[in-house]
Amino acid sequence: MSVRNALLGLLAQRPRHGYDLRATFQAIMGGEENWDVKPAQIYTTLARLEKDGLVQEEAVDQSSGPEKRIYAITPAGRAELRSWLTSGVERYEQRDEFFLKLMLSLATGEADPGKVIRTQRAALYRELHAITTQRQQADPKKELARILLLDKAVMHLEADLRWLDMIEARLDEVKRQPLPEPVTKPRGRPKKKRD
Amino acid sequence: MPLVQTEYLTKVYGKGETAVIALDHVNLTVNPGEFVAVMGPSGCGKSTLLHLIGGLDRPTEGRVLLEGRDLSRLDDTQLTELRRRHIGFVFQFYNLIPVLDAVENAALPLILDGVKPGAARARATDWLKKMGLGDRLANRPDQLSGGQQQRVAIARALVADPALLLADEPTGNLDTRAGDEIAGLLRKIADEWGRTVLMVTHDPRIAAYADRIVFLKDGKVVDETRLSGSSTEEAKRVMAKMEAI
Repeated sequence: MSVRNALLGLLAQRPRHGYDLRATFQAIMGGEENWDVKPAQIYTTLARLEKDGLVQEEAVDQSSGPEKRIYAITPAGRAELRSWLTSGVERYEQRDEFFLKLMLSLATGEADPGKVIRTQRAALYRELHAITTQRQQADPKKELARILLLDKAVMHLEADLRWLDMIEARLDEVKRQPLPEPVTKPRGRPKKKRD
Repeated sequence: MPLVQTEYLTKVYGKGETAVIALDHVNLTVNPGEFVAVMGPSGCGKSTLLHLIGGLDRPTEGRVLLEGRDLSRLDDTQLTELRRRHIGFVFQFYNLIPVLDAVENAALPLILDGVKPGAARARATDWLKKMGLGDRLANRPDQLSGGQQQRVAIARALVADPALLLADEPTGNLDTRAGDEIAGLLRKIADEWGRTVLMVTHDPRIAAYADRIVFLKDGKVVDETRLSGSSTEEAKRVMAKMEAI
């Protein structure tokens, strides 16, 4: 959803071709390493936006190299962009690979859960150190957008580290409780009741 | 030679049944120019560790070597001299003298050590400028923000040119932004001015500025994480550890 709306936003700025859209999108989001969008996704998204009447092909640029189709936003596209910009974003991420490792280390005994926590903590601190270094090297007068994104990463890592401390403090309690079990639902046709 | 080395460093407060083991046989090595953070829950012994390394307190067992010198062999006068010339201290609440201005506060350790006021002021001014306080030299502590006061305290800690800077929760009384500035300065003190920094903190954000984190719990080192350095250095360290086993 976000890429689709981002393309609308960039086309609301001015008409652009696919390559330009991809490069600008990635620059805003802190580079390819942060959010890599494949060219194919840009072109299929553009095709869908065109089909929905939200963008239209405006011209073909043949000035250099292979020809590039230039797209522009339509009034319907602009309306959709405005409604997206002014609605809140739900962020609810509970898929956590570390959590899965912890639960399975508890369940299988194949690794010490305390060690799993310490390894994760070390990894998070190394990441935090790397981001802190980048954050310090960034120029606040020119690269504020990048700094804000780095700050977000720092704060999330801080939260993850605090969460690890909490888990470690309660590890003995967790060990004493059974792992969550699936709720068994009867399958197939209900059995006939015998009178 | 390591700058700081502790061997089986132990501190017990009280006696008999009420005895509390604040530090339990801690072996820690800090190399010259390294920036090390010590973390752990409150009461884990991290401040005790810093105080023992800084010669502010004496261990129950074990010893501290500072640049190879055994602190336990020094008498109180020698220890005071060592603290004044070889170690700089930074605390959570800055501990500046309210009636003195920034230069006078920063110059204090030199004045107490008998350096002539003119020379002492010049060196204090130099460090204050390095701390970004060139335009605050004549301000008293109450005319400075928390972050600025802490920077005066760091200038004071460095004015006698110590090899080791000990910082006990240096950002504990500051907001996030000022805390980041202080942590960044500590980083710079190690990187640009070659000092060794040992910092106690409970804040992950601040600890992440260091080269290495040592985790303490119940007076013992429970974990250690290297945050920077090349992978070859890391491999060497692991190899050395493995050989030691």
